[in-house]
Amino acid sequence: MDKVGIPRSIFYYYYGDIWKNFFDYLKVPYLISPNTNKEIMDLGLKHGGDEMCLALKTYIGHAVYLKDKCGYLLIPRIDNFGLENQTCTNFLSTYDIINNLFDTKILNYNINLNNNETLKKGLTKIGIELGKTKHDINKAYKYAINKHKEKKAREITINKNKLNSKKTKILLVSHPYNTYDDLIGKDIIKYLEKENIEVIFSDKFDEKITNKLSEKLSKELYFKYSKDNIGSIVYAKDKIDGIIFLSAFPCGPDSLVNELVMRKIDIPYINLVLDGSSTFTGIETRLESFIDMLKGGLND
Amino acid sequence: MKDCYLGVDIGSISTKGVIIDDNNKIIAKEYIWTEGNPVKAVRNLVKILKEKLPKNHQIKGIGTTGSARKLIGLMLKANIVKNEITAHAVGTLTYYPNVRTILEIGGQDSKIILIKNGIITNYAMNTLCAAGTGSFLSSQAKRLGLKPEEFGKYALKSKNPVKIAARCTVFAESDLVHKAQVGYPKEDIIAGLCKSVVLNYLNNVGKGKKIEAPIIFQGGVSKNEGVVKYFKEILNEDIIVDENSHLMGAIGIAVLARKNKIGKTYSLELEDITFDTKATECNRCSNNCELLKIYRNNELVDSWGSKCGKF
Repeated sequence: MDKVGIPRSIFYYYYGDIWKNFFDYLKVPYLISPNTNKEIMDLGLKHGGDEMCLALKTYIGHAVYLKDKCGYLLIPRIDNFGLENQTCTNFLSTYDIINNLFDTKILNYNINLNNNETLKKGLTKIGIELGKTKHDINKAYKYAINKHKEKKAREITINKNKLNSKKTKILLVSHPYNTYDDLIGKDIIKYLEKENIEVIFSDKFDEKITNKLSEKLSKELYFKYSKDNIGSIVYAKDKIDGIIFLSAFPCGPDSLVNELVMRKIDIPYINLVLDGSSTFTGIETRLESFIDMLKGGLND
Repeated sequence: MKDCYLGVDIGSISTKGVIIDDNNKIIAKEYIWTEGNPVKAVRNLVKILKEKLPKNHQIKGIGTTGSARKLIGLMLKANIVKNEITAHAVGTLTYYPNVRTILEIGGQDSKIILIKNGIITNYAMNTLCAAGTGSFLSSQAKRLGLKPEEFGKYALKSKNPVKIAARCTVFAESDLVHKAQVGYPKEDIIAGLCKSVVLNYLNNVGKGKKIEAPIIFQGGVSKNEGVVKYFKEILNEDIIVDENSHLMGAIGIAVLARKNKIGKTYSLELEDITFDTKATECNRCSNNCELLKIYRNNELVDSWGSKCGKF
């Protein structure tokens, strides 16, 4: 059976474990691209469009890396999670971009809750395409979702416990595909942990709670992931020392949210915009001075 | 022998050095151009400072700051290496304990630091874009056939500054060229440029920040009278520019070197020391990191740039 290629970028950071468990259960072979490295990034820069954000370019790099190694690429089209919970247009367009770039067969499904297209329907569609029975697909879906819920619950508990830590606490507000990508956010997390900072992640809260909480800062927000991020700030702000807002250049939704946070939040805050430049020096200066300020090291 | 402390601030455009005593009084100071070679600039700087230093003084601490702080820190065996925000804040608070806002525009970065009761409460620094900083001003000065130092005086002559796009340097430059070609006088163009630097700053790093007096303006660009004038005009507040405003980072890091002294005495003899860097691309994995190896007296003292941390 042909392997399913899963790009380790954007959607992987939301659905990766569900996909893995779903395919494992159905005994479908799959290949996940490696952590982003220079080679993959360069492929993305070469094949991506000029105006795409760094994360989308990275995604395309992963897809190019996989396309000749697999029979299929798994690329969903994620539109919305109900009214007023849109996703970024990149999430909507990725399938069509890749489909137009290469001939590789794509396994795809839509998530459009306005149209009643759910994850379950999507995975069922994929399972049938791969020749599995509805009965097995149902069981595999249940298995994958339960595992995902357990994992999420564990992560939320760890994240919440960090809020009571005695160390200097920073909430890293960022999309998971930026936060955990080797060439985007990884160095920043490493640096903060080396400096003995407790790093709290904006994506590791219960999004049902954070999504709703975002209304306390603004009722005008449009994008689901912006709402989740903003909500995490409302949730955590009394227990943290500072906020780092990390975004990939040029992210449209983030640039709006950034302006909003800057005006409405009264705790120390910095914005880091990453463009895939090769040196860490500029970022390090900003992180170092931010930590100095939080720890009060300047005032002795 | 009197104890004193050296602070060096190596920026993208200029390299600044000061020597202070135990009472934070400046004994020697110097400001030279970096010219893309921080190692050479610091060699010159230290040579000049050594000549200016009175005989009965000994260096008991060295600090480095600015974008080349790590490299020069190794070269001078500094006892403290700190980022420029920290250094600027410490330097300013040493002389102006009541300051509320520090505006700073340097060669390739700009920052704003908000202070309350002597404690930093917030700051911002430009992100990717270096629009409206010193390097832009000096390249425009060159294009108009002026020295960067003369720029401010020219701006003051203007009664009617031209309007120039304030957000992006590339657009600002097109605007400038266009305005010159249609015949606007030079001083009006220069004044427009200074004003656009201020607007750019306030719309970028100053965005959403409450700017309260006393306000201190520093960094190399604070020596430009035109920019100072438009800060005053637009903020409608008095702007303090210290005579040593361009040296505040160096002063701050010298103060930190004093506070963190380790009891060692330093020599300012650099002539006999060789200091080299070698850049290589690592091919051990597909990240192809650019490695930089630092040699002091032909001995490898540090290596930077690897993502894995092994090399």
